[in-house]
Amino acid sequence: MGFEEVRFEQDSEKALRNKSLQKALVNVTNRFRSARNKASEEVPDWEDLRTSAREIKKETIENLDKYLLILEESVKRTGGKVHWAKDAEEASRIIVGIAREGNVKSVVKSKSMATEEIELNSSFEDAGIKVVETDLGEYIIQLAGEHPSHIIAPAIPKTKEDISKLFSEKLGIPHYDKPEELTKVARERLRSEFLNADMGVSGANFAVAETGTIVVVENEGNARLTTTVPKIHVALVGIEKLIPHYEDLSLFLTVLARSATGQKSSTYVSFITGPKRSTDIDGPEEFHLVLLDNGRSKILASEETRESLYCIRCGACLNNCPVYRKVGGHSYGWVYSGPIGAIITPQLMGIDKAPELPFASSLCGACHDVCPVKIDFPKVLLELRKNVVESKKGGTRVLERLGIRLWRFTVEHESIYKITNKLSYYFQLPWKGSNGKLNSLPYPFSRWTDQRDFPAVAKKTFRETWKEIKHEAG
Amino acid sequence: MSKNSREEILHTIRKGLEGVGSEETFEERNFQSEAQEVHKLIDENQSGLITKFVGELKNVNTNVIEAGGEEKAKNSLQYLIKEKELKSFAIWESQFLKEINLKQELKDSRLKVITAKNKNRIAKADIGITEVDYAIADTGTLVLIADKNQPRSVSLLPPIHLAIVRPENLVRNINDLFIILKSKLGASEDITSCMTFITGPSRTADIELSLTLGVHGPKELYVVFLL
Repeated sequence: MGFEEVRFEQDSEKALRNKSLQKALVNVTNRFRSARNKASEEVPDWEDLRTSAREIKKETIENLDKYLLILEESVKRTGGKVHWAKDAEEASRIIVGIAREGNVKSVVKSKSMATEEIELNSSFEDAGIKVVETDLGEYIIQLAGEHPSHIIAPAIPKTKEDISKLFSEKLGIPHYDKPEELTKVARERLRSEFLNADMGVSGANFAVAETGTIVVVENEGNARLTTTVPKIHVALVGIEKLIPHYEDLSLFLTVLARSATGQKSSTYVSFITGPKRSTDIDGPEEFHLVLLDNGRSKILASEETRESLYCIRCGACLNNCPVYRKVGGHSYGWVYSGPIGAIITPQLMGIDKAPELPFASSLCGACHDVCPVKIDFPKVLLELRKNVVESKKGGTRVLERLGIRLWRFTVEHESIYKITNKLSYYFQLPWKGSNGKLNSLPYPFSRWTDQRDFPAVAKKTFRETWKEIKHEAG
Repeated sequence: MSKNSREEILHTIRKGLEGVGSEETFEERNFQSEAQEVHKLIDENQSGLITKFVGELKNVNTNVIEAGGEEKAKNSLQYLIKEKELKSFAIWESQFLKEINLKQELKDSRLKVITAKNKNRIAKADIGITEVDYAIADTGTLVLIADKNQPRSVSLLPPIHLAIVRPENLVRNINDLFIILKSKLGASEDITSCMTFITGPSRTADIELSLTLGVHGPKELYVVFLL
């Protein structure tokens, strides 16, 4: 996904004006939210599971170097190859290199945020290698030449009519208008891609240090096909995806499925350990694990924001975020959106590239409440805001500083505070609308009223009303 | 090149974690004795587990055939062959399926047997037949472990997957399963190349959140529960 600079303010305004996107966002986030709530309430010790999941992630991240070496050893022991990539460019180079060495003509991919992060598709295309996304949503997005907007449901703003038109144009088929028919078309097309592909590229939800197992969770079966049918399997895995022990999976799979889609278990979970064994009848002959850093190791140095690396990419924070629910995924400017995008993009890409994102939150903490590994989003966001302000790029505006000084002076002097209160009631009158609220204030306050009304200052102050009540009550 | 990146990444991690890296705090567990305890608890309430498992399967769009005995299982399979007009099949060469001689039975019904060795051919088989290594009652999940007799494609490429489950395959929940798997991991160091959890037929909701079955994997999942 092309990344230059996040333009949250501009892009979110566009999103707010897009009526069909607004409708789709409400539908998808409400659906996932209620499913998650139901699924988590069914588990009596849900809160304990979250606490344990957090503890395991904390222990892993705080000993990451040790666990990475154990993982490397385990993968080698089972016949797989391990590659280390310090950035996006190196990861793409490694994977394209594996493809060239294996004389690969075409590649199938299952859904993976990490491959989006390194823009793997364009590297394959530059190398003259065909690459096909196989998750239905991702396939639609690839045909449309767009980027995913939700971790779990990438194509969600598109209606079936949009997809029908797209399929008809790109695949040269008649118009179908039922989701079942469109799905069937995709199945047939993609089935032949699977059978002809020389290489499958997947991500991983977890990588188990102890056994060298990578775990891929899905509902469609495209990840099973990607990791089973082609002769080479490459898994691109962020270094934070580690968990120490095989048995930790029971906990993490439980919280992941319930947090993401509200399922008790996702339809398919593949536990892949190395390539096919010599006696196995099917499965890939080569297994490559590419460990991706791309800025993650730097996040470790900050104690305040280190927990950003606990994330298991369930998407629950997106569905519960009042900001994401309005502005959608694309406003966040990069592959990760919602609260997790707001904390991870500035850290991975550099705070100067995305100074708006830590402010794209009301700090309501709904994300913290639903996070299966209890990432304290408000705490991390505040820390990042501090970093933005301290860096040159996001330095506070003169006007803002002046305003805050004035405010401080006013509240520190009782008599001035009282007078200001009274005066502001009269000052506001020219802007007061028929609904009793302020509808359009001059700059800089227009930045608020352009989007929504501002509550008007009441005629009586709270103190005055309080006195009256006390008086009446005798 | 790659060697340097490895060192560089590890170096940055170690520098970032200076003064943090705690000693491992995980407590030692004895999975052998935990597994024995789990097996005991499963045996004590097998009938309850069967009811739970069958109920959960139905929740995830799985067709359940409860068959009292091998003959009944085979009869229901014959019924399925007629109803779905099955012409060809792929099957695991696993121990139990061999014992009940299912392959011969299907051949006698004039179905063509297809080997999993050729991906293009098995993709054209009408049905794939497997047993399961474990079955998780709590979530209605089938657990299939690949090995030389149990190829992965049989439960993946044909449009219908039929799995034969026996009461002794049942565990209560995913926690039980990993305790048992871990106890075996200690005993034999070689872990198999692929284990798969299957909970219902392949599904998607990527188009307008409308649930559609059979997008990539089998569209229909049958479980023959051999009581």
